[in-house]
Amino acid sequence: MESKMNDMNNNNMFGLEEKLSNMLKPVMPDPVFMNNLKTKLAKTPAILIEKSKRRMGILVVGAGLFAGALTVWIISKLKKS
Amino acid sequence: MQESNVVNITEENAVALACGGNPEAFSFLYEKNVTRIYNYIYYRIGSASDAEDITSRVFYRAFGHINSYVDKGVPFSAWLYRIAHNLIANWHRDNLRRKEVPLEDHLDLPHKADQPERMLEKNQEKILLMKAIRRISADRQQLILLKYLEDLSNAEIAQIMGRSEGAIKSLYHRALIALREEMEEIGYKSE
Repeated sequence: MESKMNDMNNNNMFGLEEKLSNMLKPVMPDPVFMNNLKTKLAKTPAILIEKSKRRMGILVVGAGLFAGALTVWIISKLKKS
Repeated sequence: MQESNVVNITEENAVALACGGNPEAFSFLYEKNVTRIYNYIYYRIGSASDAEDITSRVFYRAFGHINSYVDKGVPFSAWLYRIAHNLIANWHRDNLRRKEVPLEDHLDLPHKADQPERMLEKNQEKILLMKAIRRISADRQQLILLKYLEDLSNAEIAQIMGRSEGAIKSLYHRALIALREEMEEIGYKSE
């Protein structure tokens, strides 16, 4: 009984493998896209510096804090005078 | 990037030259790998335009980091697949709200000899199969695509995925079981 079940399982697996090999065929990318990308890569400088989102976040927060402190300082100066 | 003048260049040579900043060598590696990387991405996400976008990013990233590439004796494509795998994960994360990916616009064009009904049936079958594939885990999808699109052996897949051959065999078996379950769940009827 168990071996019969295993046989059925294997048959299903082979059927599935056959389907996969029939349906998963490589596709050709658009040649225009491939050539454009090749050209763009050629024009790109060899060393790329990726923009760091974290660094940008720190800069924005820093700028905000600075602006806030400046405002407080100006207001306190104005109050004194 | 000019046309490569080097005729009998091997992948190892090209990688070494590209690491040293040789654009022709990178061009050689690009031409050797662009179709397979595009195919992998295309079948993982199901949209030709997004596949082009992610393929571009893979090669830009590879080009930008080629100086830090360490040759560990595995094919150069393994590195590109890893970059593609990470970018696809980001793409899925960014597109979480989009539940369904349009599949109809990226099916292979039917053969002229096929009858219309048979073509429709075939397309429908392919849509469901792709739907089922995209429902299994990312590493199982990667394994199925490398095996059937690239026709790679378990040993080659093991190198690319950074696992042992035994682990790939067992992952493959689990992937087929999971795929069959997903197919049943979405109502795929076997002939």
